[in-house]
Amino acid sequence: MRTKILIVCMLMLALVITGCSSSTSSNEDESDKIVLKFLHKWPQPQYAPYFEEVVKEFESQNPDIKIKMEAIADEPIKDKLRVILGGSEVPDIMFSWSGEFARKFVRADAALDLTPYLEEDAAWKDSFIPASLQPFSSDGKNYGIPLRFNGKFFVYNKEIFDKHGLQAPKTWDEFLDVLDTLKEEGETPLMLGNESPWAAIHYLTGLNQKMVDQEVRMNDYNPRSGEFTDSGYVKAMEMLAELNEKGYFMDNVNSSSHDMVKQMFFAGKGAMFYVELEEFQDVENALKGNWGFFPMPSIADGNGSQKYITGAPDGFIVSSKTKHPKEAIEFLKFLTSKENSLKLVKDIGWPSPIEGATNPDTALKQVAEGVDYMKQAEGMAEWLDTDVHAKVADVYLSNIQLLLDGSKSPEEIIKEVQAVAKQVQSEVE
Amino acid sequence: MTILKNRIFQVIILVWFSLFSLVIIYPIIWLALSGLKTNSDFFLNTWSLPEEWVWENYKAAWDAGIGKYFFNSVFITVVSVVTVLLFGSMAAYGLSRFHFKGQNTLLIIILSGLMLAPQVSLIPLYKLLQAVGLYNTYGALIIPYVAFQLPFAIFLMRSYFLSIPRELEEAAIIDGCNRWKVYWNIVIPMGKPIIASCALLTAMNVWNEFMFALVFIEDSSLRTIPVGLMNLRSQLNTNFGIQLAGLSISALPMIIAYIIFQKQFVRGISAGGVKG
Amino acid sequence: MKETYRNGRTAFLFILPALLLILFIVFLPIVLNLYNSFFRWNSFEAGKTFVGFDYYVRLFKDPVFFTALKNNSLYAIISLICQVGGGIIIAAILEDKLIRRFQPFFRTVFFIPSVISIAVVGLMWQLIYNPEIGLVNGVLNVIGQSEWAHSWLGDSKTAIYAVVAVSQWQYTGYMTMLFLIAMQKIPMEYYEAAMIDGASKINSFFHITLPQIKEMILVGSVITVIGAFKVFDEVYVMTFGGPGRSTEVLGTMLYRSAFRNDEMGYASTIGTIIFIITLTLSLIQMKLGKSGQEVE
Repeated sequence: MRTKILIVCMLMLALVITGCSSSTSSNEDESDKIVLKFLHKWPQPQYAPYFEEVVKEFESQNPDIKIKMEAIADEPIKDKLRVILGGSEVPDIMFSWSGEFARKFVRADAALDLTPYLEEDAAWKDSFIPASLQPFSSDGKNYGIPLRFNGKFFVYNKEIFDKHGLQAPKTWDEFLDVLDTLKEEGETPLMLGNESPWAAIHYLTGLNQKMVDQEVRMNDYNPRSGEFTDSGYVKAMEMLAELNEKGYFMDNVNSSSHDMVKQMFFAGKGAMFYVELEEFQDVENALKGNWGFFPMPSIADGNGSQKYITGAPDGFIVSSKTKHPKEAIEFLKFLTSKENSLKLVKDIGWPSPIEGATNPDTALKQVAEGVDYMKQAEGMAEWLDTDVHAKVADVYLSNIQLLLDGSKSPEEIIKEVQAVAKQVQSEVE
Repeated sequence: MTILKNRIFQVIILVWFSLFSLVIIYPIIWLALSGLKTNSDFFLNTWSLPEEWVWENYKAAWDAGIGKYFFNSVFITVVSVVTVLLFGSMAAYGLSRFHFKGQNTLLIIILSGLMLAPQVSLIPLYKLLQAVGLYNTYGALIIPYVAFQLPFAIFLMRSYFLSIPRELEEAAIIDGCNRWKVYWNIVIPMGKPIIASCALLTAMNVWNEFMFALVFIEDSSLRTIPVGLMNLRSQLNTNFGIQLAGLSISALPMIIAYIIFQKQFVRGISAGGVKG
Repeated sequence: MKETYRNGRTAFLFILPALLLILFIVFLPIVLNLYNSFFRWNSFEAGKTFVGFDYYVRLFKDPVFFTALKNNSLYAIISLICQVGGGIIIAAILEDKLIRRFQPFFRTVFFIPSVISIAVVGLMWQLIYNPEIGLVNGVLNVIGQSEWAHSWLGDSKTAIYAVVAVSQWQYTGYMTMLFLIAMQKIPMEYYEAAMIDGASKINSFFHITLPQIKEMILVGSVITVIGAFKVFDEVYVMTFGGPGRSTEVLGTMLYRSAFRNDEMGYASTIGTIIFIITLTLSLIQMKLGKSGQEVE
């Protein structure tokens, strides 16, 4: 009987071991190749094929390099990146948001300094829209290569606007007038799906930038010196709360997710919706030309520049532990080549940071216009939740829902932000 | 009089339980049906039948990797369950049939495994698995799953074994059987119902586990279904039809397996019929 | 006869494989965890800064910790009432002569939710709770109680109850099943004897059923209460602690600290506290249930 058990145990062990080895054996025949591990965040069936095609093309042009590609979706990758960066098998090239999200990896020496490679190949560097490289830099050095250049705009349903004789507003007061008219005519003026609170944070991103002086804000967003004592931060939150109190947002903003609300907007259930440039293609698919867009309107009494656009690039960083920096750069160059950028714009409708890639021939007219807005802007207001220290972002993120359900006031929230900013200051060397 | 009272009792209970059943079954059927809808159909006619039956959603979800993940999940679940049952029943036998020094301490150690939240172990385990070279293999999931499922399995089996009469075993020992034989030929067959229950409970937990599967596996070729499901979701643009089709595909095997094996699950269904 | 059972070494051989796995995979990380809670560190940086008991002090001043504690306790109490209390009653009714004919069907149906992944259940219930398209408000409108319609998960006052309710939906059948297994081991003769003595059904329930399934009640309450303090997936999938921090439980608080706020030390502290709470609770329950009975 004992032998029977032993056999069962051994069988199982054998199973486990074959299980393990089968995962590694696939690389064996390619052991003489350089293997690059590449991690991105678009596993969804509508995007993944683009990356598969580009990788295949790269491998056929560089037969001695093998790309091991993995993709993890948007939310899980935030956790996953932190875990793998602490391990011994870090991917050579990985996705990162720009701003503080990337800078914390830079501070931890986890990201490779890409400045020399950019300097070396001036043509490559110059092919980027300058504003798309800047958010990936820290202390004058470049740590990330942008893949997309994303801006945030209000899109509106033209049918509803025309019905009430409305036009895209340029200033905040005009914006409020439009909202007021819509409300009185019985429409839902603004759609917002704030179940994941980044949706409302994107409003606050622009409002903070427009209300607070640039230098003060940059100082506050820096984890080493953040204080958040400027009165503009409170005003920004008050303006957001006002939109809600006056009933301009749809009901129950906290219980629907952005992607659900988007479908309702497409079904004509609301007049305006705040979306990213990469979503324009979806809007066009659903509304078929019957829509327009405008950036966040300028605020007369704001202390920040009114010529900024909310948005940021996202792209890739290279691990500081990579054994093949040259090949990794080679791949990034290929990924951001004019040819592949045109393909990116054409195939999946994303705005590219490569100069001239997002043009009316390749892209949707509105996407090209959106990129022009960003090129002409004085600067970009990067997403608040990735541009401040993770702990500050967390306080903002969880409290913004309470601001919108009326259980916390802007003053209470800013006090918490100040407290955590102070704590962060003491912890970041 | 009693007959009438019994009738009323029966009717009330049946109505109550039927309503409860409806609350359980309806959403699940709705889930499977919604997997057949287009995105706009889903949002405009959420609770009605699909306007057109988009069977491609199921195919798309399967092709998006759910098929591959499915087999990984099956493999990992089967190996984990068999291991848990073997090691668990052995330990439960050892703990229920022997008296020795330190027994209570051992019991407490094993049972306190029940109390540990797996999130606590995530980072240390991750480093441990990397150190022994198991990271990113099937073993990286199977071993932790077995370890975390064992305490509950032992808990259940031990209390069941305690309630099995010992006369048979004692007789067998007088006849010269050693304890392995007693374990294998007497305790295991007698413990069948609890072993079947443990199999199902373990399978259920392993099949659905999310956090370890996300962190300990990197290759998409080794991924399990729950992690694969999360990948169908995107913050900005989810195709709900495909997403719900994927959810249905992952839920159905467990429901079917359960319905097939549930006869094993509670002892004496036929006996129950006689008893009634 | 007892002598043959007093062989410690054989017993140990039976227990060893399970014990080793549990020690290395479950307990070793706990010890590491305790050690980690004295340092400020994050997963991707090499250095660690010793902070002593700072994180423990901070935890007991953190209002979110008390919200989480309150939510976990709420979880435990409601689950005890619905899953253990409800489970026993449903199981007893299913075992009743008059209903037993229908038992296989109901028992099968009631158990189904617990075999479905929480990822599936969570997303499904998000849609059911949705104020615009959801079933709950739809039903309320149909039965003419539209003023009860509500943004269930979106309101910080009701969100935690909505989440807890889903767990009851999912696991009451599971508990019922465990109690059924226990009840079917009770010899029929007990009930027959009681019947002859003229005991009512309710009497038999209190005097035969309950004492006979005592062990399973203990097991059931232990896993329910401990499960309530370990709860993570449900909250993670449905609300991730929101709106605000209103549905935060210890599990999500730990996860948020570790993987969103990059404070592994604080997360380890929370982990240690979860361990202490669950350990204490189960020791208390074991004492109350006197499950040491097998040590004759």
